[in-house]
Amino acid sequence: MSFWSKWRKRAPWILHYNAGSCNGCDIEILAALSPRYDLERFGVLNSGNPKQSDIFLVTGPVTYRSRERLIELYMQIPEPKVVVAVGACTATGGVFRGMYNVEDGIDRYIPVDVYVPGCAAGPQLIIDGVMEAVKIWERKTQEIEEPFKLFGGMGKIGEALSRRNTLEVKDEQNRREP
Amino acid sequence: MKKTVEIPLGSQHISLLEPIRFRFHCENEVIRDVDADVGFVHRGVEEACASRFEFKQVGYVVARVCGLCAITHSLGYTLAVEKLLHVSTNERIKYLRMLMVELDRIHSHMLCLAHTSENAGFEALFMQIMNDRELIMDVQEALSGNRVQFDYISIGGVNRDLSVEAAALVLRNLALLEPKIDELFERFTNNWSLSLKYRGIGALSLEQAYMYNTLGPLARAAGLVTDVRLETDDFPYAQVGFEIITERGGDIYARNLVRLRELKQSMQMVRNIVEGLPEGAIQEKTKGKPEGEAIARVEAPRGELMYLVRGNKTSILERVRIKTPTFSGIPAMIEIFKGSNFADAPAILASFDPCMSCTAK
Amino acid sequence: MNKIDVSLENVVETIKAFYDPAAHHFLTLNALRAPEDQIELEWIFTRYGVIEEPTVFTLTCKRDVLIPSVTSFIPSAIMSERETVDMFGVSIEGAKRGLYLDDDSLQMPLGRCRV
Repeated sequence: MSFWSKWRKRAPWILHYNAGSCNGCDIEILAALSPRYDLERFGVLNSGNPKQSDIFLVTGPVTYRSRERLIELYMQIPEPKVVVAVGACTATGGVFRGMYNVEDGIDRYIPVDVYVPGCAAGPQLIIDGVMEAVKIWERKTQEIEEPFKLFGGMGKIGEALSRRNTLEVKDEQNRREP
Repeated sequence: MKKTVEIPLGSQHISLLEPIRFRFHCENEVIRDVDADVGFVHRGVEEACASRFEFKQVGYVVARVCGLCAITHSLGYTLAVEKLLHVSTNERIKYLRMLMVELDRIHSHMLCLAHTSENAGFEALFMQIMNDRELIMDVQEALSGNRVQFDYISIGGVNRDLSVEAAALVLRNLALLEPKIDELFERFTNNWSLSLKYRGIGALSLEQAYMYNTLGPLARAAGLVTDVRLETDDFPYAQVGFEIITERGGDIYARNLVRLRELKQSMQMVRNIVEGLPEGAIQEKTKGKPEGEAIARVEAPRGELMYLVRGNKTSILERVRIKTPTFSGIPAMIEIFKGSNFADAPAILASFDPCMSCTAK
Repeated sequence: MNKIDVSLENVVETIKAFYDPAAHHFLTLNALRAPEDQIELEWIFTRYGVIEEPTVFTLTCKRDVLIPSVTSFIPSAIMSERETVDMFGVSIEGAKRGLYLDDDSLQMPLGRCRV
């Protein structure tokens, strides 16, 4: 697989789904793909097929009727996958927070890796978000590709756990300090 | 035995910007019947406008109904509330509002044309139109401070004045855009895939247009004389050179032509507005709470947008009814789909320029 | 706007007599909660191509009666009628539920009392 991964690294395909947004972020995603901002220079291609995609761009607070589709699309994207939440309402519900037919943000349903702020999120911010997603995606790819040793495995899990614990302790300290 | 085959399209598809689900009942290649599910984006804006937000905030909430025609939404609401508050705005405010609405129409029509050409297989033309569209987006950003959701209109006025530099930028970018639109005209009338192939596809006759109450470019392409800019006197559209544009045939080709001609006319109107901008303040004093019932109509890029506002002398409104253009166009769309080839469905759909966020609110 | 009051019995006939497809344009069907568990319905019409105030037919009736439909001569009214059925929990002839709302959504969001 390492033979192909070199090329795949330069071709993160995106899948875009509107889960109830106002269209603003969606046209900004189109604008980011167009020649002025040219997200395609990074090899990003807007594919309509979840099975060929790597990065999932979601806009909008999740409306009741789009919940199932959102999860289904997420499940159909092959691992490793990265989810980018574009726009303020995707992160928290934004102006739609608390309306009767929306869930407040997509992280109630699927794990999110990158949040892109803004109402509507500008193309520059979307490019930043996608590039951040590519980094996370590479890391996830490496984690998957690392050979898993049966007997050395326990040590590796312990290592990962201790690393996470130290991070959490640091977080705690940071939170207490101010 | 059943003779038809069901083919779903949506809710997620490469030719769809927004979630809408169609279920086509096809007999061989021909569509016999269509079910459309439009409720994917229903958020409940109408209820929230009448319970959770004060009437001064609602103008910015209804802009979030739709990102493409955000300015017409806030304008429609503001006009209705100004009628209830008995506020009359001066000429400068009217001109500045018209300016933003026409700029919005230009960028929305260009997006629709780009989408149509993409669905015809012209990926490069899609990219080219999207690139040219950035000229207008720059103008909008300079005028209002945001590219898409410009909260430009407030009750009793506008939030920003047009500076001398911004006016110069408008004129400069329009001069840059003009030859590109002419070139597009050439493409859409002479290129085989974009003109001849689209003749007679997805046609709507004038009788059907009357019967199904179609609006906007869809109706004007069929020859129906309807335009809210003509039917209301809230804005001095005749002064800035507005004339109604109609075509014959009602097919995809005619709709593209209507959009192209409207583009050219809107550009001319923007130029006239910027050059003949009257003097005055950009904000009028307002006081009191809305009472009574008022209807305001605005021509959005896709057709007629109506706001009905009823207030009862409190800061929370009693009812805000939003009637969006695509919402009333859907029965006509379903009618057009019947009898056409399934392979044409994405192209026909793109030529409607549907806006699902508007429809479902 | 010109308001014309109609009753439950003559609403369809009045609108049918008024409506001319080549001249009039059906805007929308609007609904409102009225006191004493009643509902106020407004059919709004305008004319093509001329400056004119909209004509509004208003009807106030109980919430639980069957409201007649105008789709037999205005086919595009089906969307507004289905929306009204969803939003206010009324029943209109031939209009199905479920245009916007799912089974687990808040039912008739605009028809209920505000807290």
